[in-house]
Amino acid sequence: MSLAAPAPAAVARAPHVPRAASRSLPWLRSLLGVLVVTVTVLFLASVVTFSLGALSDSNPAAAALGETATQQDIDRLNHEFGLDRPLVVQYLSWVGHALTGDLGRSWFTTIPVTDSIKTALPVDLSIAALALVLALVIGGGAGIGAALSNGGIFDRAVTLVCSILGTLPPFVIGMALIVVFAVKLQVLPAGGYVPLAVDPGEWLRFSILPALALSLDVAASIARQLRTSLVGELRENYAVGAEMRGFGRRRVLFGHVLRNAAGPTLAVIGLAIPLIIGGAVMTEKLFGLPGIAQLALQSAEKGDVPVVLGTLLVTAVIVVAASLVINLLQTALNPVARRGAGTPGGVR
Amino acid sequence: MKTLKALWRIPSARLALLVLAAIAFLAVFGGALAPHDPLQQYTDEVLQGPSSAHWLGTDYVGRDVLSRLMAGTRLSVLGALEAVLIGAVLGVPSGLASAWLGPRLEWITLRISDTLVILPFTVFAIAVAGTLGNGLQQAMIAIGVLMSPIFYRVTRAAAIGLRRTQYVEAAELMGATEWWTLRKHIWSKVLPNVAVTSAQAMGAALLVVASLAFLGLGITPPAPTWGGMLSADLGYLAQQPWAPIFPALLMMATVGSLNLLADSMRDVTGATTAPRRRPRRTNARPEKQSREEQRDVVPA
Repeated sequence: MSLAAPAPAAVARAPHVPRAASRSLPWLRSLLGVLVVTVTVLFLASVVTFSLGALSDSNPAAAALGETATQQDIDRLNHEFGLDRPLVVQYLSWVGHALTGDLGRSWFTTIPVTDSIKTALPVDLSIAALALVLALVIGGGAGIGAALSNGGIFDRAVTLVCSILGTLPPFVIGMALIVVFAVKLQVLPAGGYVPLAVDPGEWLRFSILPALALSLDVAASIARQLRTSLVGELRENYAVGAEMRGFGRRRVLFGHVLRNAAGPTLAVIGLAIPLIIGGAVMTEKLFGLPGIAQLALQSAEKGDVPVVLGTLLVTAVIVVAASLVINLLQTALNPVARRGAGTPGGVR
Repeated sequence: MKTLKALWRIPSARLALLVLAAIAFLAVFGGALAPHDPLQQYTDEVLQGPSSAHWLGTDYVGRDVLSRLMAGTRLSVLGALEAVLIGAVLGVPSGLASAWLGPRLEWITLRISDTLVILPFTVFAIAVAGTLGNGLQQAMIAIGVLMSPIFYRVTRAAAIGLRRTQYVEAAELMGATEWWTLRKHIWSKVLPNVAVTSAQAMGAALLVVASLAFLGLGITPPAPTWGGMLSADLGYLAQQPWAPIFPALLMMATVGSLNLLADSMRDVTGATTAPRRRPRRTNARPEKQSREEQRDVVPA
């Protein structure tokens, strides 16, 4: 899914921070700005999530009690769930509980949502992390190679493969991998899961295909962006100058250029995080992994609103946290950004 | 019209337009032209390979794959189209407006767009299906809402740049109303950007719709769609490992054409780039040339 996605969540200009602070400590200004943005985004995400639940017409009392329930029973249970209170009160108590790690209980099984998510989440997180590593290795290698052979065969091959990957839904890539590695070669399992904590070797065997399926899409974006920025940076005066001074191509690339090209690439990775998490949902279904998406899908079928909302909220928080990390990395890498966004004379 | 002619002169754009025209034709007439009823189950011909009766073979309950592909085009394309339209209707006006809003309101609209960006399509769509019911409309609205930030950002970027140009400032000084400036000066320049984004978003939406169908969201069986066919094939990979190729090829052709078209439109109209730009295949050479030129100049 190659979306021409907008700039990542938290790269916005820092809002109103006292002037004195901005002059003496420019990094404080950008840090504060990022924090304000992050908190706002989290708040809005919780509002979106909550309003989905509020708009839902599925009634937990009626659902839990079955068809024989009387109106009195339903009212009693509604009161118990707190659904007869005003929406604002419901929202505040929901968020308040969520902040302490309590996302309510399932309407059907009465298992705490947090517990269900806790058992399912490590599956997704470990696979998403592995996918990210794979994407970095594959995409980074392809991007650097393409930039080095700018216009050459390798460059064109990378561009072609990236374009093709961008036209396929992620689960088709996973299907192709299953056909090749599980059906034809029979070297890797087509489904199933062993937790990382139980047996790392087995975990790797079961999760390498899902992670690979998940990573290729992102690897393509990384390769594309890295190639573009590398080619651009290699034309800058400092790179030409370093080359003129007799530094080898490799030294110029890895010592000087890569660092500068990493910024935009990091932005792409930041954007890819929702894709990885969203894609994890797809791979879970494809490879039969017991992850958060299976939980959400099964709950969605039953209309188990707390579980569904809980998964959405947790996913949003994870994506925001990951974007925040990427953002801080970006600031750390780029001296212009470190000095504060929009410094006059900044190159881009 | 002029744009269309200019597009036609680019070979890749011509190919893309032809493919898209064929897809549009299939979307309108595909169901009527299909050689078999897409829902008819030929129970004694389950999981057959291509033959003279069934050109692309049959699926796991013996339905004709070619007919299902042809008839499924409409739902797949219409679904994506609806999502893109919703995204554009939400994103474009708010993007234009944000160029005129005060800094506070603008900041809030930016944060709303940030929030929608971080919600993954699939998880959000599952949540919508779980709370508001599982239907095509709900799914498409969900995707459309999540797509609106793309339109918002692109429109906003173009509009903000234009608003600071001298001729717009001059018009405002001379007393032109905001509405007049918008219609006269801004809209015609924002439109190419919106068109390019729409083509890209359409491709992305097709993939998302397929992904949702794979998860069992949005389109309910037995109605045929490309994504639904792909996910049904998954269960029979051992018997028919080649079966997903047909819907996948059709989807690749459509999405690829949309991407090509977007790139060519950008070249033709000179639309400023979307926030994230994919490198175009065609510029591999010129870049190299210019780099060599630069090298020639510098060491001399």
